[in-house]
Amino acid sequence: MRRENRIRRLTARRRLALAVLASLLVMGTAALAQMAAELTGPTPPMENVPADPIPRWVVDDIRQMRAYPEQPPVIPHSIEGYQLSVNANRCLSCHKREFVQGSGAPMISITHYMNRQGQMLADVSPRRYFCTACHVPQANTPPLIGNTFTDMSELGVEHAGDE
Amino acid sequence: METIKRILRWAWMQISRPAATLSLGFLTLGGFLGGVIFWGAFNTALEATNTEEFCISCHEMEANVYEELTRTVHFSNRSGVRASCPDCHVPHEWTDKIARKMQASKEVWGKIFGTINTRRKFLDERLRLAQHEWARLKANDSLECRNCHSSVAMDLSRQTPRAAEIHTRYLLPGEATCIDCHKGIAHELPNMEGVDPGWLVPPELQGEALPQASVIDELEARVRTAHDIR
Amino acid sequence: MTAEFTRRELLKTQAAAIAAATAGVALPASAQPVPGGVSALEINWSKAPCRFCGTGCGVMVGVREGQVVATHGDMQAEVNRGLNCVKGYFLSKIMYGEDRLTTPLMRKRNGVFDKEGEFEPVSWDEAFDVMAEKCKQVLREKGPTAVGMFGSGQWTIFEGYAATKLMRAGLRSNNLDPNARHCMASAATAFIRTFGSDEPMGCYDDFEHADAFVLWGSNMAEMHPILWTRVADRRLGHPHVRCAVLSTFTHRSMDLADIPIIFRPGTDLAILNYIARHIIETGRVNEEFVNRHTTFMRGAVDIGYGLRAEHILEQEASGAGDPGRMDPMTFEEFREFVGQYTLERTVEITGVEPAFLEELAELYANPEIKVMSLWTMGFNQHVRGVWANHMVYNIHLLTGKISEPGNSPFSLTGQPSACGTAREVGTFAHRLPADTVVTNPDHRHHAEEIWRIPHGIIPEVPGYHAVQQDRMLKDGLLNFYWIQVNNNLQAAPNNSQETYPGYRNPENFIVVSDAYPTVTARAADLILPAAMWVEKEGAYGNAERRTHVWHQLVQAPGEARSDLWQLAEFSKRFTTDEVWPEEILAENPDYRGRTLFDVLFRNGNVDQFSVDEIDPEYPNNEAQDFGFYIQKGLFEEYAEFGRGHGHDLAPYDRYHQERGLRWPVVDGQETRWRYREGYDPYVGPGEGVNFYGRPDGRAVILAVPYEPPAESPDEEYDLWLVTGRVLEHWHSGSMTMRVPELYRAFPGAVCFMNADDARRKGLNQGMEIRLISRRGEIRTRLETRGRNRMPRGVVFVPWFDASQLINKVTLDATDPISKQTDFKKCAVRIESVA
Repeated sequence: MRRENRIRRLTARRRLALAVLASLLVMGTAALAQMAAELTGPTPPMENVPADPIPRWVVDDIRQMRAYPEQPPVIPHSIEGYQLSVNANRCLSCHKREFVQGSGAPMISITHYMNRQGQMLADVSPRRYFCTACHVPQANTPPLIGNTFTDMSELGVEHAGDE
Repeated sequence: METIKRILRWAWMQISRPAATLSLGFLTLGGFLGGVIFWGAFNTALEATNTEEFCISCHEMEANVYEELTRTVHFSNRSGVRASCPDCHVPHEWTDKIARKMQASKEVWGKIFGTINTRRKFLDERLRLAQHEWARLKANDSLECRNCHSSVAMDLSRQTPRAAEIHTRYLLPGEATCIDCHKGIAHELPNMEGVDPGWLVPPELQGEALPQASVIDELEARVRTAHDIR
Repeated sequence: MTAEFTRRELLKTQAAAIAAATAGVALPASAQPVPGGVSALEINWSKAPCRFCGTGCGVMVGVREGQVVATHGDMQAEVNRGLNCVKGYFLSKIMYGEDRLTTPLMRKRNGVFDKEGEFEPVSWDEAFDVMAEKCKQVLREKGPTAVGMFGSGQWTIFEGYAATKLMRAGLRSNNLDPNARHCMASAATAFIRTFGSDEPMGCYDDFEHADAFVLWGSNMAEMHPILWTRVADRRLGHPHVRCAVLSTFTHRSMDLADIPIIFRPGTDLAILNYIARHIIETGRVNEEFVNRHTTFMRGAVDIGYGLRAEHILEQEASGAGDPGRMDPMTFEEFREFVGQYTLERTVEITGVEPAFLEELAELYANPEIKVMSLWTMGFNQHVRGVWANHMVYNIHLLTGKISEPGNSPFSLTGQPSACGTAREVGTFAHRLPADTVVTNPDHRHHAEEIWRIPHGIIPEVPGYHAVQQDRMLKDGLLNFYWIQVNNNLQAAPNNSQETYPGYRNPENFIVVSDAYPTVTARAADLILPAAMWVEKEGAYGNAERRTHVWHQLVQAPGEARSDLWQLAEFSKRFTTDEVWPEEILAENPDYRGRTLFDVLFRNGNVDQFSVDEIDPEYPNNEAQDFGFYIQKGLFEEYAEFGRGHGHDLAPYDRYHQERGLRWPVVDGQETRWRYREGYDPYVGPGEGVNFYGRPDGRAVILAVPYEPPAESPDEEYDLWLVTGRVLEHWHSGSMTMRVPELYRAFPGAVCFMNADDARRKGLNQGMEIRLISRRGEIRTRLETRGRNRMPRGVVFVPWFDASQLINKVTLDATDPISKQTDFKKCAVRIESVA
């Protein structure tokens, strides 16, 4: 619903352009990319458009695959109302090493135990205290604009056990 | 000043002098009516102090705890059912309510002497204030929560998988009570250093059920014990 | 698997285990063979600075088969030591938005350019032909003041430098300004006015030395998350450390605050003067420092609001004629001046609790506490932004808490090369490289020498600044306009009345170079597809004076070309005879009939390095196209401006080896603290401290008052509007909105509002609302929860969302001295859409 609204709003597709696009689709993807480029964004740019409803968060707790190993995992649940301050860290109350057995949450990665000098500490380093600088929840909405990022596994990277 | 003294003296004279000209019947009836009026006034006053408007008529409450409440699910949510200050902080049972109100007279004292009349003082006192409320809710098994949120009425299929699991594991068997996990649900938290996450049951309490506060929960628990389901 | 375990494998495993045990190495329990050998797992890693904010984090970029496949924080980068914020971690995806521009697009009708036509793909040749023709026509008819360019703090150093040469020396126009004007012009101006040299004296090492941090209107937790990790590391790891956060609303940085201060918009000026007073009246002035290294000045007052001259507020402002004026005064006069800002009066003006103000003042007054002040847009986007910057220097100078580890007034920046390009290269309408200016004949002369062009070419009158450019476009006085690496139609204030009409003015020809079809591009007449980030060799300079260079790692899609290529290639279309005055050419006949490319880029400096000097591991499209190592040539020519003048840069090649170096780099050593003996090679023995940017070596302590904002809420428009960013999106969102994970993390702008305010107005959480000012309106959704916790009467709307152009609502008031826009204060009202 959100996506449809947004795309309708952000694309200035005249019917003719659509037809052209459709025919181009058959003719080849290179040409398609060429044409698609000019068409995203509100038209005319200064027009007032309705604002989409604030979407809901993905709350299914299903861990999402990372786009590459270094990517901080996204949060598969809502963190609305979670307090993350000098006083309290709601995230740690489940994801801290000492608590994961009881909470069933994934443990914070060991990289988070490293201080600025690269030394391992006994607990999460204070520099990693504010989780939301890197980890974000996801709204239940499709991307606004597609992304052609290619996973390294499609670029000749083979992993142990691939065979 | 003098005028006030004169009025007070006159009133005292009127009350302290025995009635010489009024009949016993009149006095009895009058006393009864007076009692009714007093009772009504008392209850009205009691109810008046039991509203959010009254609570936030003090700047301390409005600028600190109320401000924080307005950003939470207990202020606005899907169905529009909301909790106001007394829903959570004043017991609904009459005797408990009176007890709480008498406690509250101390707060009036605090207000007059400005114990928490700045944000700085509030921040400094927040841990102590929060601990009072946590202890109270822990002791009564989160009675004020359960006034609305009966654990047996929870539809686990409508909760997120994580919430359903945790509730099944800790709340339903009575291993933990609402406030254990939901500290900070309506206000910001004080320094939580050394405070374990609520779902973490101290080893000495593990396996032990808390006193059931909701009648239905208790009933259910009794039925369970009677039929030896556990 | 065990079933297939042959005896031979078992033996091998055992042997390996024994070997591992003796070597003390742990082996995985079940090692599996890697198909194709371990080389099949290899990724080509190279260093680069992050593409986003001014922090300047180092990232490692992994490339495989010509594609960026992964990025992570560079462990060796001093700035971030292995960390990135969520945007940085998703850099891998910013170049791969489905709608990348891959060919020039021009508005056409019936096969020819038509301002009212539709965009059609054209060749680079056709694009440049039409563009050059339009430019020449404007030059012929109206002269150089009618051509202009709007650049960016996201330009690489070479690009900014090439642009400044093309505009000033080529087309002879100073109408060159960067979007950094919207961002840190106030900071830059105050640096020059106070110390005579732009950019901070301290550096990020101060984070590990400070005992107290004071955030002046900065929300570092969201806007500079990696620097915030350094603050958090210090604050949470050292119990004595204190953190004060000042803002007009509660945000994520307040979550770490020991002293949280919410003040009425614009009244920070009163707090700053109160602190100065507190320092003086409690006898904590560092007299020795003040006597030796400072001088007191009184600033002009009632200086107006940088609006159009006919605006009533400008007409009424008595000091608007010369807003930057400063007159000497004595310490006693200064004391008397700030003496008006008593605690009681300051509380009255600001609405802040006295206890907080006293605690804050003590952080500065107490000589035992090393204090770092940090600020960005709260100070800079302020109609008195230059004053605010001055006033924070005042309190550091009064106490001598400056230019030493941990004692640091630190101006943060918002763009990756706001410092490196916009400020150091000097792409502002009045600036030349390395703190020189067009108004100074010696500076122009010096630049002309280095550029090897005839004297008299560089015009002496400063050009139009950012907001003025929009006004001039609208008024038809600026007619050829080229916008590179920014999205100003989304960023500029009051854009539907002051910006958009200029773009669509039939007299004007607007060119936009960008990687994506932003609203600005879509409002243009010609769109040039740009290569971005690691699709070209580049160099950025971050907020701590760190210059950081990267290699081209991948190819841009289609026909997209770097801004540098575009600038240099465009210069080939002009000859000196077409753009330079006849009298200068008559005196310098050697320059006749040569292209601007020849005189600007093939001038013996820029073309002195051969393509053989390029690291053969990496592509370099521009160098291959032009036949010389143009980036190195531009850098080395540019570096001539600063070497020996306190802005020394290292030889270019060294930057490819380092994770950046902080200038001045003298004898191969970077400088961490400027102006202090022992740290800064420009301060001689026995001097202790020398603010050598100023002729007398003394920094200015400036007496200026609190003055109210340009527009405040009234009965009709009853709310303050503050605009800004969110963590997950950078600036106008043209890159981050195209990364699915970042988009989903914050899919659309919302209006953050106090919940009680909303309830009193009968507005629901999540409701669609109209946010209206005297300039325009947008439709958005109401958010009463979340990260920004608004006090009564103040609302916040981020500006990343192209479908909710909040700058239709904002006011085009600027600081009258720096000309930087105030995006933080205007009056609005809110209505339900229903």
